[in-house]
Amino acid sequence: MLGDQNELNVVQSKFSSNELVVAVHTNALLLEQEGWVDNRRILALVKHEFSFALFVILSVNIPPVSFSDLTIERIIPLDECFLCDTEPIPQDYQNIIFNIYYKTLILPFKVEISTESSNFASEVITAKEVKPVEYKDCIFAWLDKYKDLDKIVMDLNEKLGDFPLTRQKNGQGQGISGNRESFLKYQLTLKEPEFTHQQEFTIFIGTWNVNGQPPTALRKWLSCDEEPPDIYAVGFQELDLRKEAFLWNETTREEEWQKAVMEAVHPNAKYRCVALVRLVGIQLVVLINSKHYQHVKNVAIDTVGTGILGKMGNKGGVSVRFELHNTSLCFVNSHLAAHVEEYERRNQDYHDINLRTNFRRHPLAIRDHDQVYWLGDLNYRITDLTTDQVKYYLSKSNLEPVLLADQLNQQRILCRVLQDYQEGDITFIPTYKYDLNSDIFDTSEKARAPAWTDRILWRGKGIYQSAYRSHMEMRISDHKPVSALFKSQISVIDQAKYRKVHEEVLKRMDKLENEFLPQVTIDSTEVTFELVKFREAQYKDIIIANTGQVLAEFEFIRKPNDTSYCKEWLRITPYIGCIKPGEKCDIRFEVNLEQPLEELYDILVLHLSGGKDMFITVSGKCQRSCFTTSISTLCRAPIPLLNLNPDQLQHAETQQSPVLYSVPRELWLLVDHLYRYGLKTKELFELNALNEDIVRIRDWLDWGSLDPISVPIHAVAEALLLFLSYTKDPIIPYHLHDACIAASSNYQSCKQIIVQKLPDLERNVFLYLCMFLQELLKHSNENGSDVKTLATLFGDILLRDPVRNSRPQANRGKASFLYHFLVNDQSCLLIVPNNK
Amino acid sequence: MAKDYDHLFKLLIIGDSGVGKSSLLLRFSDNTFTGSYITTIGVDFKIKTVNIDGQRVKLQIWDTAGQERFRTITSTYYRGTHGVIVVYDVTNGETFANVKRWLHEIEQNCDVVNRVLVGNKNDCPDRKVVLTEDAKRFADTMGIQLFETSAKDNINVEEMFLSVTRLVLRSKQEMKERQNVTSNDTVNLRKSNKQGKKKCC
Repeated sequence: MLGDQNELNVVQSKFSSNELVVAVHTNALLLEQEGWVDNRRILALVKHEFSFALFVILSVNIPPVSFSDLTIERIIPLDECFLCDTEPIPQDYQNIIFNIYYKTLILPFKVEISTESSNFASEVITAKEVKPVEYKDCIFAWLDKYKDLDKIVMDLNEKLGDFPLTRQKNGQGQGISGNRESFLKYQLTLKEPEFTHQQEFTIFIGTWNVNGQPPTALRKWLSCDEEPPDIYAVGFQELDLRKEAFLWNETTREEEWQKAVMEAVHPNAKYRCVALVRLVGIQLVVLINSKHYQHVKNVAIDTVGTGILGKMGNKGGVSVRFELHNTSLCFVNSHLAAHVEEYERRNQDYHDINLRTNFRRHPLAIRDHDQVYWLGDLNYRITDLTTDQVKYYLSKSNLEPVLLADQLNQQRILCRVLQDYQEGDITFIPTYKYDLNSDIFDTSEKARAPAWTDRILWRGKGIYQSAYRSHMEMRISDHKPVSALFKSQISVIDQAKYRKVHEEVLKRMDKLENEFLPQVTIDSTEVTFELVKFREAQYKDIIIANTGQVLAEFEFIRKPNDTSYCKEWLRITPYIGCIKPGEKCDIRFEVNLEQPLEELYDILVLHLSGGKDMFITVSGKCQRSCFTTSISTLCRAPIPLLNLNPDQLQHAETQQSPVLYSVPRELWLLVDHLYRYGLKTKELFELNALNEDIVRIRDWLDWGSLDPISVPIHAVAEALLLFLSYTKDPIIPYHLHDACIAASSNYQSCKQIIVQKLPDLERNVFLYLCMFLQELLKHSNENGSDVKTLATLFGDILLRDPVRNSRPQANRGKASFLYHFLVNDQSCLLIVPNNK
Repeated sequence: MAKDYDHLFKLLIIGDSGVGKSSLLLRFSDNTFTGSYITTIGVDFKIKTVNIDGQRVKLQIWDTAGQERFRTITSTYYRGTHGVIVVYDVTNGETFANVKRWLHEIEQNCDVVNRVLVGNKNDCPDRKVVLTEDAKRFADTMGIQLFETSAKDNINVEEMFLSVTRLVLRSKQEMKERQNVTSNDTVNLRKSNKQGKKKCC
């Protein structure tokens, strides 16, 4: 257990017993977006079955005393949208920032570096890693109940709504999770120190508001250091103040200044341009020593206008971003709103530039880069001091009181602008506003107070500023240029080590992916039935056990060329389902034989969604029965069916043996029984018999017992119906059905079909039955039978469709056809076999 | 930088029952071997990512039941396969004799596919009955590459899987090049057509 046991217990009491609090972090400070107002939170990692969620909890007391102290503020499911990382806080070795990301949500928590926090973080990361490969919305269904608590800020509704369902029905090659890429990226980021080393690059940053003047020689500014820098980022403002530049963003000055820069870079190195970006008068060029150029990747630029109407390019920011080796860099040159009193407007411009800068193909905000250098005419002025006071302090070289009155410094302390940036100490006098071509502060009527309008700041790891200065000798503008020199640590990838780490991570992912494939075992892949008999159902159970780590969705699937996932004699329950890890499921195979089969055999395919397929072989021998045997075979069988030897059976089936009976012996037995005992029975064919009685009748007929059968008369009646329904072919062959129905209005035509078209044996069976039914009707006073009902019932059976009841509309025709034979005498039509 | 894979290929292992198909896969994917024999009743797959000349190839390798009675069903899993590994047992002549039938299965069920022939259990010279020369001669006439492997002693297994992956990779690249050539042709044709029209006018 992690966290203090007491605290854990208190937090646990907030949850139900199936929601296990795995770990808590009691003292996490949520860093709000607005400034650095610290807020204490409790973080709890909660597990429910196979899913985890992170709960952000407010507490009246820290540590909490009772569960009533606790209020759930947010809930973040640990699904594939969830990410977390840690980032160090500059100059703070006691604390670290633990970031939680969920889609667009970012929650930074400041936590103390301790075993509690590192255990908690690793518990969260582990929980995130052991997540199932496939997400189902159902696994987070347990979070639904928190939706109703109105204090929950977490947008459960929208977020639970669009969990990507990566269900893969098809196991034919697609069962691979789509989440690997982000996982790989995350793992590689964690292991970055293993395959990178830091290399120091010198970066020269320059900014100058040139007041619309044409270019001048820039070497004194850009090449003032002894050693050539590796990177230049040079920003200009007010490159061109003419109307055309403002309205159409057209200027010849871009080229002229670019040329001036290229001419002025350090003579001891060759430079290549990484990117040049301009918005009206705001221009930024980034150059790199040619020898490093091949390591620059993914260069992108953007411009944001914040001027007139909040959009125009007279004010705003331009940015260049790229990756140098393994470090992402971003340079922003901004020209913020003018005038002393407009500092809030300047703050707003800064925020707008951050918000609206979008590098498109590289979806990073400015602040997401490893290193950001922010330069430009930020336009913050000196307040609270008169111009004379400022000039007085400056003349005494006493910068401190003036710097205290600097708006940018003030606003930064209030966290209103550039709050997480750093700036080096200012040791130079204000760079604004000078009389042109002089080093004298504004002597015009307005006599503007001097100000440090031109600034360079940075944010990110491993940046050391070695110089921050102004360049008084550059006199063409009312601003002086400023420059800063940085020694910045750039992370360089060691390709060999990187390959090794990459390989290891891939190997681990392969392992995870294989482990997270659904796995089940079946106790038997062979289902063998004992002797299967007509109308006597049997079942066998198998057990599927989920031995994997994820939910196993199984389904019996259809083989190509088959119409169903199993044959018609088999029923599988359930044929589709879901088994949780460690659980089992019984599958019942039930066979019910109604066909004349000698044996049952089928191979079933049990498919796991996103995983393997297993084959289950179902087999069994069948016992022959008169119910499913053809009339022709029965009439040729000298003894009951199951007493026949194979030769006798074969001869009867192939019609090699002579016809011995005019109607099957079994049919005679049934009819005779009904004739003797059933003529006076009401609703003879309308009551359902017990299956066991049907089975007894079946054995009586198939084994040919000499004893009379003692079963309810209704069972015999039903057996007769079954007999006629399941004979291998219908009594009236399929091909005659349409003719019979067509002729049904005319007795003579019907008779003609029976006499001329029906084979002898079938005709006998047909007429024999009609005579019996006529006999039954003679006793209708006692048994209540009526001719129409009987005609309908037997018409449907004697003219049965290949697929049962496939043409209900034909039933009336069938009934009228049979009707004729129940109301007319046909005894003359009977044919008696010659050899009898 | 952190791309998961450049190619995704489906490989299939076929051959008589008991020749060691599952063992080969287990050796390649998990680097393990189990002496106990469990016959595969169904089809199963494993994932393995390999590096071929700097390209990440993700393999989905399907292991099939070898028993005769499952042959009709297993043949339905051939669809969409990029490479097939036909395995026989060097200590069992019959399994080698059946290779022809397996190759025939491939022809029946796959369009274009890369194949390799694998004689597994090549770890006990005393029990070996399918001679390397015979197998080699047969493989040459069929125009396929032969590998003699042992999943048990981990001989030649990785090489074999990498080779078949390389074959698949090469044929994919060749196909791409061929498509590029044809698409270039169409562009050229169009150009010349336009010029022809101008002349006519």
